[in-house]
Amino acid sequence: MKRILIVDDEPHITRVLKLYLERAGYAVDAAQNGQAALTDILKSAPDALMTDIQMPVMTGKQLCLALEEQLPQRTFPIFVMTSMTDREHREWTQQINNLEFLEKPLSMRAMTRALDKHFGTAATDGGASHVS
Amino acid sequence: MSANALQEIDFPRYQRWLNRTVGAEAAFMVFDKAGTPLWGKDTPQATELGLAIAAAGKDAAGQHRHDLDAKTALYQALGSTNNGQLGWLAVMTDHFGEQDAPVYIDQLAETMDDLAAGISDEYSYKDDLEMMTEELGERYEELHLVYAIDQHSQIQVEQNDKVFQSLLQSTTEHLTVDVVAFVKPSSEICQYAASLSKEISNLDLVLVEMRGDLFRFIQSSGETLTLNDADDPRRAYIFTDMPYKVLACPIRSNGKIDSMAVLLNHAHKPDFTNGDRKLAEVLANQLSNLGNTYLLMQSMAEFNQQMAKSLIEAVEAKDPYTRGHSERVHFISMEIGRAMGLPANELDDLFWGSLLHDVGKIGIPDSVLCKPGRLTPDEHTFIKVHPERSYEILRHIKHLERAVLGARHHQEMYDGKGYPHGLKGEHIPLHGRIIAVPDTYDSITSSRAYRAGRSHEVAMKEIERVSGTQLDPAIVQVFRELVAAEPEWLQRFNIRREKV
Repeated sequence: MKRILIVDDEPHITRVLKLYLERAGYAVDAAQNGQAALTDILKSAPDALMTDIQMPVMTGKQLCLALEEQLPQRTFPIFVMTSMTDREHREWTQQINNLEFLEKPLSMRAMTRALDKHFGTAATDGGASHVS
Repeated sequence: MSANALQEIDFPRYQRWLNRTVGAEAAFMVFDKAGTPLWGKDTPQATELGLAIAAAGKDAAGQHRHDLDAKTALYQALGSTNNGQLGWLAVMTDHFGEQDAPVYIDQLAETMDDLAAGISDEYSYKDDLEMMTEELGERYEELHLVYAIDQHSQIQVEQNDKVFQSLLQSTTEHLTVDVVAFVKPSSEICQYAASLSKEISNLDLVLVEMRGDLFRFIQSSGETLTLNDADDPRRAYIFTDMPYKVLACPIRSNGKIDSMAVLLNHAHKPDFTNGDRKLAEVLANQLSNLGNTYLLMQSMAEFNQQMAKSLIEAVEAKDPYTRGHSERVHFISMEIGRAMGLPANELDDLFWGSLLHDVGKIGIPDSVLCKPGRLTPDEHTFIKVHPERSYEILRHIKHLERAVLGARHHQEMYDGKGYPHGLKGEHIPLHGRIIAVPDTYDSITSSRAYRAGRSHEVAMKEIERVSGTQLDPAIVQVFRELVAAEPEWLQRFNIRREKV
């Protein structure tokens, strides 16, 4: 089962993502900020990382930059969750490979579609796909 | 929550609670409604107890007792009014026969009551939380769609028809459906977008069926229709041959259903859910709003054009020989404007400026305007005033603020010898210089009271002759290239040709 690490300081977002991702057949872990996520990743890399930007202690931007530096050989994709109007982040993310945006408010269908596409388990059924 | 969601409860915590209260050796067991052990020591005895409890079929209220060999089990139901019965909680004890048993048993029974209430509450909270989380997820989905629609609607109003199309397209992607269509039979509108997961060879035919029976069904039921099953009996009323999953929402305008939004999926896709239904209804409402705005704008545009047409007719009624002149000059001006790659807002100005360039002629006495012979200098002054008249008539219309420049200056000459202001070269507003070329062309090729229209070749020769003095050579160049391609309007405008 693919492991997804969610990094967000807002528990309601994490809860929703966890519910829908588990339903789609993924194993889900959550971290409340970039620092906690970094520790978790260095211990064991997830199959995909989904991170918010604005967070206390360590922001999503700092997390991504730290990963670039400490794990230059990283193979798992990063999905950055950002608001639709927030275009400023398109700038610093350009230098980071294997990074995609997911627009908030997050569409669960769009999210599972993006993950299924990445893992090559082409889902035709949006929100309720199953990955073994 | 799933059937065995009881397993997600933190039972070890309740076990510690039990041990602290009644002693280290006490252990509880949890069974589902059918008596299958879910938690606790997995012994043959436990399995036997579970089956016995289920078989006893005791009431969900109160505590019950079951004797098993030397031991005695106390058990009671887990659950709540809202969730119904979830399973059973049981504790086995061999203290029943002992001397201080009554005190111990009372304590155990009370603790069990607390445990059962605690477990049931925790389940309830977890269940509520999961439902709220799911609901929140669906709200996010809805918001995401609404935001996406909002972004589409912010595109320039002039491109309203494109907004519609791109909105439909993005919905197919957003909802992962094969076809999204907006159907309004009364206006013969059936606009759709497709992101096909598999080919639909007869899509046109499918759309026709939608406009007919499906729409009538939606119109009479007034409700959103979801058809997932291939053998849904309602299909017989709606389709002769359409093996797709269908979600159709009525769209109301002034309280009447006049259109609908339809989502189609191939049979291999998952069923349309309640969530899809809600999203489709959001989409339908937005489409309805956009559609109304679009129609309003269309009718406004129509009104404008009809007003302009009336104005032109008023002018042309004065001189039957100029009939169609404004339309032709307008048409050719737009061709030139497009060939020059003018931006959309400039083309809009040119549109009105060229169409209304002669409106000022309304102020010229018929005796002058329709005079067959040469004009006297005085009469010529009348004629010369007409561009300025056009300007005076049109300047009150704010929308035509920039468009009137073309009308006002279409009689200026490139060398500065024209009227009304005697502007020279680039000082003449561009639209004036553009309109001047087809205006010259049409006045040569169309018939007058005193002569028949001359040929295209004669007109072109004359235009070449005055290029640089009367007309802007750059625009003459564009015009020359345009007509060299033998456009269809040469025939449509009945322009005489000379055999070469």
